[in-house]
Amino acid sequence: MRKRFRRTREFIDRHPRAASLSVGVIVLAFLWATPASWQTSTLRLAVPIALAAIGGIFAEKSGVINIGIEGLLIVSAFSSIIAVYWLGDGGATMGVSNLWWGLLVGILVSVLFALIFAIVCIEFKADQIIAGLAIWLISLGLAPFASRIVFGNPNTANITRFGNVTVPGLSEIPIVGYLLFDTEPQVYLMLAGTLAGWYLLSRTSFGRWIVASGENPKALDTAGVDVRKVRYAAVLLSGVFAGLGGAGFALGTLGTFAGGGDTAINGRGFIAIATYLLANYHPVGAVLGSFLFAGLNSLQTALQSAGYAIPHELVRTIPHMSVIVVLVLVGRTRLPDAAGDHYESGED
Amino acid sequence: MSSDSDGQGQVRRLLERLVQASAMERIVISIAALFAAVLVGGAFVFVSGGVASCRSGLDVAGITFCYNPMQVFYELFLGALGNPLQAGWSPTNLSLATTLQQMTLLLFAGLSVAVAFRAGLLNIGTQGQLVIGGFVTAITVVFAAPIVPDGFVGAVVLIPLGVLVGAIGGGLYGAIPGVLKAYADANEVITTIMLNFVAAGITSTLLSWRFEADSPNPRTERVPEYAEIPTVPGIGFSGRMDFSLLALGFAIVLMVGIAWLFARTSFGYELRTSGIQPAAAAYGGVNEKRMTVASMTLSGALGGIAGAFWVLMVHGYWLENVPSIGFDGIAVSVLAGSNPLGVGAAAFLFGLLKSGSESIGTATSVPPDLVGILTGLIILFVAMPEFFRMIGRQYVDVGSPEPARADGGSVPADEAADGSGGEDDA
Repeated sequence: MRKRFRRTREFIDRHPRAASLSVGVIVLAFLWATPASWQTSTLRLAVPIALAAIGGIFAEKSGVINIGIEGLLIVSAFSSIIAVYWLGDGGATMGVSNLWWGLLVGILVSVLFALIFAIVCIEFKADQIIAGLAIWLISLGLAPFASRIVFGNPNTANITRFGNVTVPGLSEIPIVGYLLFDTEPQVYLMLAGTLAGWYLLSRTSFGRWIVASGENPKALDTAGVDVRKVRYAAVLLSGVFAGLGGAGFALGTLGTFAGGGDTAINGRGFIAIATYLLANYHPVGAVLGSFLFAGLNSLQTALQSAGYAIPHELVRTIPHMSVIVVLVLVGRTRLPDAAGDHYESGED
Repeated sequence: MSSDSDGQGQVRRLLERLVQASAMERIVISIAALFAAVLVGGAFVFVSGGVASCRSGLDVAGITFCYNPMQVFYELFLGALGNPLQAGWSPTNLSLATTLQQMTLLLFAGLSVAVAFRAGLLNIGTQGQLVIGGFVTAITVVFAAPIVPDGFVGAVVLIPLGVLVGAIGGGLYGAIPGVLKAYADANEVITTIMLNFVAAGITSTLLSWRFEADSPNPRTERVPEYAEIPTVPGIGFSGRMDFSLLALGFAIVLMVGIAWLFARTSFGYELRTSGIQPAAAAYGGVNEKRMTVASMTLSGALGGIAGAFWVLMVHGYWLENVPSIGFDGIAVSVLAGSNPLGVGAAAFLFGLLKSGSESIGTATSVPPDLVGILTGLIILFVAMPEFFRMIGRQYVDVGSPEPARADGGSVPADEAADGSGGEDDA
């Protein structure tokens, strides 16, 4: 099974065009065979996973393994809800809907946490995995703490969510129309973020610096580019993407934030990490992978509303179980050579 | 043959030298990290008091700051001991009992994480292993109780049985990520985190399927009273405080046992070598895959024991809402540098924090979730020894920097630089 999987990946590496064509066929078959409600809910549930995965790709490609991405999703989600609540639910400030201000606040808070993580890892040479876990645990405590101060309860109040934005004309196209052109802002953001992430990583010199900083920092240094600055930029970018994902998910899909236990993010940041490992650090692949996990997630809702007596506690963990299966199939992915290491300019 | 043992001896000497050189520094860094976390946490409490609403507080520039960090930390640390500075203090008070109860559980959880860390494996799954172990303990004891006689004989049979099946349950659950890591190269950080979610799903499904008691909280049937860990009569704490000195004693014995295992047995030696220098361990004849599975199983068994004691000492039943003892075990182990004896001290400290969170919940209006934030901050500061070295270097001349690692051991500088450690296979 695994060997076959490996061979499939080799095939994908060798024949990218044929591979993307077959992915297209699979996606079309999926669209033909499944109900529209499941498709739309899959797209919405994919938002935090896809954007966090793209963010994680930037950080890890640059050589900083950001396992704290779950924490970034948590802080951006709950801070965006609190911002909207403070500014006034359903209102507008300076002519812009408060939801957009909430989104901005969520991104800024996430970037702030990413900055702390970057300083700790790059400046103070912390063990990246331990520092990432710390960021996650701090967020896990911070969300209910802040929520209790503001609302007196680990769960925040409800806010009015983003509504659908319909693109006139394009939304009339069958299937693609209702999926991509008659949907909520966070889905548009996810699609735009995917394209931006892919473009930045594979079509700009900044993208090449990021790859070099993770694969061979010394060469990048020799070429006259500051490795530290590239890594800072990459980690902050991971904060931007994760913030977009967390805040978009909270403001568009959840409308509230449950801070107790594993919080409403419920491990989606870790699922994102598994997703980009599965996609071998390709942003578009990561987004397709996030559809897989999000689809399993919405399958649970679909099964329940269809009246199947499946224990919902078990069904809820299907995405988590499938992450394990995927990791077993993928096995050891090739990490960037210098991932996890500090880089000291002019070492020798 | 002789060249092999020579190689081993060299590695051992190298390890001992490294440990001696860095033990003192590690302790200093852990204490400094603690103070830094308290300082940052205090500043954070003060600032968040500006957001909270209250009747009286400190007015600065038109903002009322509701929380007094000094009071918060006073309650946090002294409240956890039952306010020893006040008149009429008795050592067997409820707060201290809670502190020691949490210390006992955190000792097991911390040892669980430490065993894996020392083997170079980041077991984030102690929480899941604890959930499974506790669940298996509760249902086994409940179902075995009618078969065995009650009273003293029942206690002697049921308690060891409960702890044993808890250890087996947790051990098997811990073996899963070990096997996946050894034979399928699946990164253990991600699999263990995912298995935590799966453990919660499995146990609550089983609970609602067959084992749920008639109670407003989702929980199992209560084990018979004689099957709960007994308290020491005469000295010690009353049974209602849900703490037993026997349990703490067992935890300390286990701690010394693990320390002995690391220091004096060949298994412990191989385990530590696999953590610090996998290549050297393989050269010395250690079967890397088997060592991975064995250390994860041992780690899971310790997590399962934590779950067993949570059931048999604290509640008397398994409750769906399992507290985050396993995650706190990570903090305990990181703070202790994965040294078993250090785990004892760190477990006491985090026991204080846990018990103190109840005191700040009653004595102040600061949300008790603060303790979760402090836990994260402590881990963050312990993870960056370079920060303290930079501060230290301004006052004294410190030797060459030597990054602290997840595995708790110290790493030769050149090995650290090319980073062939555990996190490479993410």
